Amino acid sequence: MAAIIQTEDLQKRFGREVMALDGVTISVEEGEYVTVTGRSGSGKSTLLNIIGCLDQPTGGTVRIAGATVDYTNQHQLVDLRRTRLGFVFQHFSLISGMTASENVEYPLIFSGVPKTERKKRAMEMLELVGILDRADHLPGELSGGQQQRVAISRALVANPSLVLADEPTGNLDSTTGGEIISLMKSINDESGTTFLIVTHEPGIWIGTDQTIHLADGRLVA
Amino acid sequence: MVRLSDVATVSFRQVTRKRLRFLLTMLGIAIGVAAVVGVVSLGEGVRTLSVEMIKDQSDLTLLEVNADIRDGVMIPITGQKIGEIERDPAIAGAVPSQRITYATERQTFISALDAAYSGFESVFTPTYLDGRGVQTGTEEVVFGYDLAETLRRYEGIRIGDRFTLLLRDYDEEGRPADIRQEFILVGVLRERGDELDLLMITDSGRTEGPFDSVFVRVESPDMVFPVVERVNGLGLASHGAFEQIRAVNQLFDIIVMVLSGFTGISLVIGALMIMNTMIISVFERTREIGISMAIGASSGDILRLILSECLFIGIAGGILGNLLGVAFAGVINSVGRNFVIAELGAGFSGFAGADIVMVTPEILLIGMVIAIVLSLLSGIYPALKAARLHPADAIRSL
Ligand SMILES: Nc1ncnc2c1ncn2[C@@H]1O[C@H](COP(=O)(O)OP(=O)(O)OP(=O)(O)O)[C@@H](O)[C@H]1O
Ligand SMILES: [Mg+2]
Repeated sequence: MAAIIQTEDLQKRFGREVMALDGVTISVEEGEYVTVTGRSGSGKSTLLNIIGCLDQPTGGTVRIAGATVDYTNQHQLVDLRRTRLGFVFQHFSLISGMTASENVEYPLIFSGVPKTERKKRAMEMLELVGILDRADHLPGELSGGQQQRVAISRALVANPSLVLADEPTGNLDSTTGGEIISLMKSINDESGTTFLIVTHEPGIWIGTDQTIHLADGRLVA
Repeated sequence: MVRLSDVATVSFRQVTRKRLRFLLTMLGIAIGVAAVVGVVSLGEGVRTLSVEMIKDQSDLTLLEVNADIRDGVMIPITGQKIGEIERDPAIAGAVPSQRITYATERQTFISALDAAYSGFESVFTPTYLDGRGVQTGTEEVVFGYDLAETLRRYEGIRIGDRFTLLLRDYDEEGRPADIRQEFILVGVLRERGDELDLLMITDSGRTEGPFDSVFVRVESPDMVFPVVERVNGLGLASHGAFEQIRAVNQLFDIIVMVLSGFTGISLVIGALMIMNTMIISVFERTREIGISMAIGASSGDILRLILSECLFIGIAGGILGNLLGVAFAGVINSVGRNFVIAELGAGFSGFAGADIVMVTPEILLIGMVIAIVLSLLSGIYPALKAARLHPADAIRSL
C-alpha cells in the first residue's frame, strides 16, 4: 500500500517561544484509521491543520499521496482541499443559515458541480450517516450528534482520500461520541477512506491501525 | 470553478439571513439614490418645461446674423457669406438688411430696417392691418404696429401720407448736417409682439453692402442649433430666442450639478453604511469563512461571495431608491404642483398642465448604476479582508 501522508521532520514555531511541532515524522498508509492523541497543547490540532493545508509549517516537509506540498502555492493548497481532503471540526462547523443538505452540498459548489448532481450526492451522504430525514433541517434544529453526522457527510461528499477530524466527539456525551466514532470506523472499513482523528482521551478507541501520540510537539512511543 | 449562479444563491442566502440589517443597510443607499433621482428629475422637468415655454412664447426659428468681432478684428458680412447662408438647406429664407435711425422734425426717433422687401416677407411673413407692402427702390414704407400708433397720434401720419424724416449726418468739420428724406406710408403691420412692432420697413433697392445684419428663417426648431453652428463657422454672430434656451440649459446644468453634489453626501453615507455592515458581517463570520476555506473555497471564491452580497444590497437599494424617487415625482406632480406654480409666479402658469418632475429611463438607469457601483466599491475592503483570512486562525476564532 502507498502512503497517503508522509511528514519529514515537521516543525511549527509560533512566535519565538512556542514550538507547537518539533520534528514530527509520520507516515500514514492509504485506508488506515489513525488516532492522534496527547495532552492539551501537545500540537495535535497544529499537526492536523498543517496536513490539512490550513496552516504552513516552519520546517520540514509534507507529502500527500506522494506529492510534496508547496505551502506557498495557494492553487495547490486549494486544489488539495477540494479533491483530497475532508474536514470534521469539534463543534459548530455547519453554516447556520443553510439546511443540513445544503451544508453537505456546500463544498461541491466550489468545485463547480452542477446543482442536481450536488443534491443527489448530498442525499446519498446523509443516507450513509443515517439522517436523511433531517435533510431540510437547519443546524440549530439538530442535536450535537446529528450535527456531527452532517459534518461527516460534508467531509465525505467530494469523495476525499483523507478525512481529518479534530476532536469530532469533543462536545458530545460518551454514548453519542461512541456512535460517531463507530460511524467513521465503518465508513473507513467500507470505503477505504483514510481517517486521521484527533482525540485527547487516549486508549479508549478500539480498532485503530495506528496511534500517533504527541507530547510537547514530539512523537512519543 | 465556482458557478456564478451558485455564488448568487449562496450570497443571497447570506444577506437575507439578517433581514433587518440588510433592510436598513439597503435603505441607506436607497435614500441616497432617491434623493439623486428626485433632484435630477425635478431639475430636468423644470428645464424641459422652461425650454418648452420659451419655444411657445418666442419665434425660435428667427435668427439675426450680425458681423462679429473676434480677437479685436471685425468680421464683416460679405456678399460671399450671404450667399453661403442663403444656400444652407436648413434655411427657408434670408434677407440682408441695414438699420438706419431717422428722426422726425419734432425729434421723434425712428428705427428703420432697409431690406429687399421680398426677402423680408419670406423671413417675417408680415400681415397687414392696413395697406400693403412696399415696392423695391421706391420711397414707400411700412410701419410696425406700435410705431404706426405713435406716429399717428403725435405726428398725424396716416396711410397714404407723404412725410419727411431727417437722417443725421456730419459735414467735413464734424458739425451735424442732417439729410432730409421723403417717404410715403403704404402699409401698417398687425401687432406681432416682437421688435418689428417698433420698426419702419424700407426697401431702397440696394443690392451691394454694407449690411449690418442678415435675418434668417430656419426651416424648423430642431434645425436652429445646427444652423447657428454653421453661421458661427462663417465667423458671424447669431442672435435669437435660442439664446434664452441656451442660457436656461446652462443655468440648469449648474443647478442640477450643485444639487446632485449635495445629495451625493447622502450617497457617501449610504456607502459608508454598507462598508460598516460588511466589515461587521465578515468579522462575525470569521470562523464560517475559515471553514468554507477548509472545505474548498479559494480566496477568490470568498471575495466573489462577499462582493456578490454587496451587489444584492446595491441592486435592492437601487430598485428601492428608484421607486422612492418615482413616488417623490408622483407626489410633487400631483400635490406639489400648484404650490410650485404659486411660488414661481404667474409667468410659470404654463407648468399647470405638465409634469414638473420628469423621471426618465436614463435617470433611473443612472440611479441603479450609482447604487451598484457604490455598494461594490464599499464592499472591496471587507471582501479583501475576508479573502485574506488565514484558514487555521479563522477556524480557531470563535
Ligand atoms: N495561532 C497560534 N499562536 C500562538 N500559539 C499557538 C497558536 N496555535 C497554537 N499555538 C500553541 O501551540 C501549541 C499547540 O497547540 P495545539 O492547538 O496544536 O494543541 P492541541 O494538542 O490541539 O491542544 P487541545 O487538545 O487543547 O486542542 C500550544 O502551546 C498553543 O498554545
Ligand atoms: Mg486542538
